[in-house]
Amino acid sequence: MKPPHNTAVPARTDAYPHGRRGLFRSWLKIQVENERYQPPHNGLIILQVFIGILFFVLVTRLWYLQIQRGEEFARLSLENRLRQEHIFAPRGRIMDMAGKTIADNRTAYGLSLVREDCRDIPATLTQISVWSGIPVSQIWEKYQQDRFKVKSFEPILMLTDISFELLARIESEIFAWPGLEIVVRTKRNYPEKDIFAHVLGYVAEVNEKEMEDDPALAAGDFVGKAGLELELEKQLRGQKGLFDVEVDAHGRALGRVLKKEPRSGHETNLSLDLSLQRAAWEALGGEAGCVVVMEPDSGKLRALVTSPAYDNNLFAAGISRRDWEALRTSNRFPLQNRVIQSVYPPGSVWKLVMAAMFLEHGISPRENVFCPGQVKLGGQIFRCWKQGGHGNVNMESALVVSCDVYFYLMAEKVGIDKIEAYAKACGFGRATGIGLPHERTGLVPSRAWKRRRFGQPWVRGDTYNISIGQGYTLVTPLQVAVYVSALLNGGDLLKPRLVEEDERLVTGKLPAGAGTRDFIVKAMRLAASGGTARVVARKDADMGGKTGTAQVVKLKMAAGDRRLRTAEMEYAQRDHAWIVTWGAKDGKRYVIVVMVEHGGGGSSVAGPVARKIYDHLFGPEAALAARAAQ
Amino acid sequence: MDTRLFSHTNWSLLALMLLLYLAGMVNLYSASGTRLDSGMSFSGFYQRQMVWGVCGLCGMMVAMSFDYRRLRNLAWPFFFISLILLLLVPVAGKTIYGAKRWLSLGFMSIQPSEIAKLAVLLIAARILSREAKPLGWKNFLSVIAVVTLPCCLVILQPDLGTTLMILLILAGMVLFHGLRGYVFKTCLLLAPCAAALMWFVGMHDYQRQRILTFLNPGNDPRGTGYHILQSRIAIGSGQLWGKGFTEGTQSQLRFLPERHSDFAVAVFGEEWGFVGCLILITLFCLFLLAIFSTASQAKDRFGSLLVVGVFFYFFWQIFINIGMVIGLMPVVGIPLPFISYGGSATVLNFTLIGIVLNVSMRRFMFKG
Repeated sequence: MKPPHNTAVPARTDAYPHGRRGLFRSWLKIQVENERYQPPHNGLIILQVFIGILFFVLVTRLWYLQIQRGEEFARLSLENRLRQEHIFAPRGRIMDMAGKTIADNRTAYGLSLVREDCRDIPATLTQISVWSGIPVSQIWEKYQQDRFKVKSFEPILMLTDISFELLARIESEIFAWPGLEIVVRTKRNYPEKDIFAHVLGYVAEVNEKEMEDDPALAAGDFVGKAGLELELEKQLRGQKGLFDVEVDAHGRALGRVLKKEPRSGHETNLSLDLSLQRAAWEALGGEAGCVVVMEPDSGKLRALVTSPAYDNNLFAAGISRRDWEALRTSNRFPLQNRVIQSVYPPGSVWKLVMAAMFLEHGISPRENVFCPGQVKLGGQIFRCWKQGGHGNVNMESALVVSCDVYFYLMAEKVGIDKIEAYAKACGFGRATGIGLPHERTGLVPSRAWKRRRFGQPWVRGDTYNISIGQGYTLVTPLQVAVYVSALLNGGDLLKPRLVEEDERLVTGKLPAGAGTRDFIVKAMRLAASGGTARVVARKDADMGGKTGTAQVVKLKMAAGDRRLRTAEMEYAQRDHAWIVTWGAKDGKRYVIVVMVEHGGGGSSVAGPVARKIYDHLFGPEAALAARAAQ
Repeated sequence: MDTRLFSHTNWSLLALMLLLYLAGMVNLYSASGTRLDSGMSFSGFYQRQMVWGVCGLCGMMVAMSFDYRRLRNLAWPFFFISLILLLLVPVAGKTIYGAKRWLSLGFMSIQPSEIAKLAVLLIAARILSREAKPLGWKNFLSVIAVVTLPCCLVILQPDLGTTLMILLILAGMVLFHGLRGYVFKTCLLLAPCAAALMWFVGMHDYQRQRILTFLNPGNDPRGTGYHILQSRIAIGSGQLWGKGFTEGTQSQLRFLPERHSDFAVAVFGEEWGFVGCLILITLFCLFLLAIFSTASQAKDRFGSLLVVGVFFYFFWQIFINIGMVIGLMPVVGIPLPFISYGGSATVLNFTLIGIVLNVSMRRFMFKG
């Protein structure tokens, strides 16, 4: 470089004086500073200092990284790559009240794939298909779905629950397929299968939405999807542990460092009694229906059976499309938990509510009504279930023999508005809060409801229908059990408890005084000893009951004036059979509600089911003797 | 052509620039490779970079062809054009990765914030060259006032990196020109307040997250900390001599993110080791010194300020990019000149060097 020249030239206004004009004139004009310019001394020093700092800082840091810590980083990079691996925490077991297992975990083997280690993904997927027998297209579909759910170097679970023979085969051939790895995952196991299917629900592979909502979840995890598995998900799940895994260039794990211990899920004791549940299941004998066994004083559920059910292990293993379609489209609705997810007309069982309401609204239990077998209202005839009628009945005998006419006439006196308010106060028309998903509320109709729903005003005939548990009223079997329990326990409407350690929780007070409650309980006792519910009678225990036969369709009369027999009706048109009972022996009290869908008569179909359950609870006493005595 | 033009040209600057560009090409060749079972496969990044280099040389020729002092006349028109382009971005811009920064011209996309960088450089050189004295409040505030609007438009895109670059280039030029003592001291006092304002108002959550992650990358090794950790492993594992050309496992096995663009120097560090990095940084420093010598020899204030602007344009990119890759700075999307892949950046870099060469070769015009 030449040394800087300090003599400035005289100012020139244009470097190109030979006339260019017009648009570019201003652009061509060159303004020259005519002073002697010297760059600012300090400024030049600053620039040099900046360059010095740049060099010094970068080189020092590089020296630190490459020389000082070079070996450490080289170890991390060259042969070993750092990966994190989850350790799956076992899901908390679920046991019955006596500690018998009803949901646990078993070891299962799966096959996972790490994309980045796979040399030839199409060939690898084809090989998986060859091993498993699953069509290649289905394997591809799963791969395409899951590849975006995992981060790089995270395994995609391709096969779950491999059989032992297949495991042996894969194990011997897997070395030819880098990127594939056999993984151990625990699988949920439900030893009782159908019997607890609806209470427990099931677990299945997590979906994208659940992963979004819960950052602790990752692809391939199993989460509760229904029943208690869903409701208690947080406490059952536990916490995953973490391994730091060093992996070599061929994808083989070299060493693991435990970063975080897994914490297994909380073990949960249910209030249910395994043997009682089994007995109730067998007592139902495959009929579509359900059984509730509840302790009236604590609110604890001892059995909660619904039938038909399904094997929830199918879901835990990853249910096949065919099995799922079969369950979903079955006309017996095996996925429905009939105790809480189905609503039925209560039939004569409803008279227990009506009678209490009459008493609370000042109707004397001694007031007599004459039942001629039917009542005319306008052009319509409302029949009593007994052709020819019951003659003179009062409240107690009307309950015991379940006379319809008595309830028609008394209900009309009180009116729909009071019926509605009373039924709601007894816990109907709202969920019991059992803590299972999708509980239904049932329906207590009212004037406003009918106008909204049908655009029609309430008529007296509606009140008649309501009074015997027909018409619009819909209840769940569990609501009935809660109501009867309240009659027995001093008027507490309790939250039904499935988990043993849950607290007793009063959700409302029955609007019935002690006199009223005692009256109803006594009437049930009479019905069980000699009335419609005598099927549950036994000498060694204090028993009470009320049957119900709820019509599904309007009465159909056969030729003449004879009612059709159950066997003569289409299945879907047959009546629902109810029995609501309580029994006390040796200081233990139980409320048992049995509902058999389209079963026919309450006493003939639901009654024997309840009877068998009492036999299990109280021992098979001289049941025959009791029956013989009648 | 005047032979004096030729003899005054800063040849060493040109040579250093070509050397850096060559190093970038070689590195890009390796960075575009992926190790497969059957050997290596290379994508065409380095070929495209070669085409961009040729375009850049053309741009450089154009930048050298006229007297640089005409640029002073262009400063204001250029500034307004860049403002209009910036204003068009929210209306007609393309959204990529959640930020609106690009204008599509059909056959190519341009980033108006890059043009704004150049415009601010020119306008600052013009305003600062008005007076020889160190800046008082009036001149200082007028410079600030002029750049406020483009800076606001760029930060709203949002493009924090470019905004910072504009401000840093400006700061360098102002420092070079000189400030009155009291102005300088006031600025020093206000700097922490400005930083706080930036943190709470000017930054998006992800940007704050990046800075927090930078302070503690081990917190989130799979998420935002991933880039930092992996690039540190890549550089560090190069040790003294490096793993050898195309032998870098971090990049070839795809551990290293953005290995063609922002993290290209990590590939270099892994494969050429400390020695290679030392040479590269020395080259960069010599390159900056060559620009510096042109600035010190310039015969007018505008020319010298122009060169200083270009000096800081490169200086900050080098400092921030390498600093980020070796874990001294948070992750911001600033490429390394000549080493990172990037079409428009390459053309712009060459063109700016063309301007510096322009200033160096026209020194004689003052000798009379």
